[in-house]
Amino acid sequence: MTSSLTAPDTPPTSETVDTDRSEARASRKASTIELKGLKKHFGADTIALDGVDLVIEPGEFFTLLGPSGCGKTTLLRILAGLETPDDGRLVLGGKDITDIPPHRRSVNTVFQSYALFPHLSVRENLAFGLRMRGVAEPERDSRVDEIAAFIQLGSLIDRRVDQLSGGQRQRIALARALVCEPEVLLLDEPLSALDAGLRSQLQVELLRVQQRLGMTFVFVTHDQQEAMVMSDRIAVLDGGIIQQVGPPREVYERPANAFVARFMGHDNLYPIKERNGDRLVTDLGALSCPAQAGGDLLLIRPETLDLIPGEQPGDNRLFATVNECLYRGSHAEYRLDVGTTTMQATVRNRGGSLPTVGDRVTVIVSSDDLVSLNA
Amino acid sequence: MRKRTLQRSLTGFWWLTLFFLYVPLLVVVVFSFNAANSAASFTGVSLRWYRRLLGNEQILSAFANSMILAIVSSIVALVIGCLIGYGMYRHRHRKLGWLIALIYLPIVLPDIVFGISEMAFFVQINRLTGVLGPGLLTMIISHVTFQIPFVALIVYSRFVGLDPTLFEAAKDLYATPWQRARFFMLPTIKPALISAFFLSFTLSIDDFVISFFTAGPESATLPIYIWGAIKKGVSPEINAIATLMIGAVAIAAVLSLMFNRQGRR
Repeated sequence: MTSSLTAPDTPPTSETVDTDRSEARASRKASTIELKGLKKHFGADTIALDGVDLVIEPGEFFTLLGPSGCGKTTLLRILAGLETPDDGRLVLGGKDITDIPPHRRSVNTVFQSYALFPHLSVRENLAFGLRMRGVAEPERDSRVDEIAAFIQLGSLIDRRVDQLSGGQRQRIALARALVCEPEVLLLDEPLSALDAGLRSQLQVELLRVQQRLGMTFVFVTHDQQEAMVMSDRIAVLDGGIIQQVGPPREVYERPANAFVARFMGHDNLYPIKERNGDRLVTDLGALSCPAQAGGDLLLIRPETLDLIPGEQPGDNRLFATVNECLYRGSHAEYRLDVGTTTMQATVRNRGGSLPTVGDRVTVIVSSDDLVSLNA
Repeated sequence: MRKRTLQRSLTGFWWLTLFFLYVPLLVVVVFSFNAANSAASFTGVSLRWYRRLLGNEQILSAFANSMILAIVSSIVALVIGCLIGYGMYRHRHRKLGWLIALIYLPIVLPDIVFGISEMAFFVQINRLTGVLGPGLLTMIISHVTFQIPFVALIVYSRFVGLDPTLFEAAKDLYATPWQRARFFMLPTIKPALISAFFLSFTLSIDDFVISFFTAGPESATLPIYIWGAIKKGVSPEINAIATLMIGAVAIAAVLSLMFNRQGRR
């Protein structure tokens, strides 16, 4: 069997990288995953999944995002076969795998604790999956060497597992799963144990690996920033139910409900008290908001607001007093008293004057960026 | 001032404890090399008692019995105890309190009670069926019984010390149930198994009471032989046997500790 990973002796020029990538995409059998009405409960009253329907496309970087206890890890474990759903089907590449045990699924997992075997060397850890599937030793060795070169493990491959740092273990765990060339790679918060610097470095590396291999990645995280950086699409989960599925921009800019909005970090949510055609009335005052469907909450993203000094009347303008100002260098974050309530505004530091605490300001609201949503 | 007095008396106790622990052993070892016939005086270094041992049929057969008993019972206890230890780990979330208490009972039960009940049990079986007459086989069964809890405990604690995700990683990496046992579990707990083997071996060699009650006329072990020999008076030969036993048990205990520590690294 010829493997599609970069050959270790190929010099990494841009040309060869491109051919390798197309080869990788061609030969890898990325498959569609269909989840149909998956349900799972633990004990009498813990509902982990309450009817999940989802289609994950081949070659997609798909993220399950949500707070702890939302069901995202249970969903991943069902994909791996480590948990059996109470109800619903799981279809991989057109084949129902709901009842197939984990050791017969072409799915591999990168575990949060890495789960490297302490009794084996790094090389033996990498070869474990191939060995269990009965791949002969010469091919096993060459595939392990290939993946080691691809992930740039260098001399780590001859170390013992207990001599590795957290970041190194993470990369070995990734390589150990990749070398099996699964149809889907599952990643269970693989970066959560690492410090911030290493984390963003490995985010870039993961993304690069996924793009070059064209493999389907299902990634679990509770960090919305990480989800937005990495994903083609995000599914936001809460209470065992999918709240929204979509590309990062859609989930962030057009959240489907209040939970998604708050989880994506939005605080400016105001109950809509009255609707007069295009005009919505909230505690902030009246704002015109064309082309909005129903919904009883108004979301105003802080970074879409402009602040100008003094009171300058106009359409979709609010008068406010600066209550608090956090200077962040590239931008400043404001808390403003508006009407009977408060709102957040983020202003880019373009070098001009910035309002200070106690200033009276006019807030310019762009009606295109207003979103009304359900509570 | 008071603190210093306390510290000094604690140091004193420490040395006193060591004195009573090791000086008797040292006396036995020293006198096993005594050239004289009596334990009254040390007249010179000699290996004559060790040579005498080699010529004594009874001692050699007792030694062979001890070794067969210790090795066979340790191997059997290792297999059964390992399975029990794994079972306890697998079902650790269920309430197994009373079952675990049953398994651990032989550890706390006085040897003499254990020995007498084993003897009574085997006598009844033998009376009813004609099999299991007193001999090496009944001794092996009894020894296995008291070795199992130690093996199970060592294996169980090794499994508990592992990251539970490792079991899932093995499944995830295509290992079938047999392959998981062969390529993941056994190699991972190997140090614990070796340690458990040497501990069982030591316990078996050490045991006198239970062996005494379950032994037959042909199956005397070293401790039983010594006990019988001492009734006729302490011969310097006994010192030589004791010295050899101290050495063997010390080696097994050190090996057991070493492998246990290696497994926990």
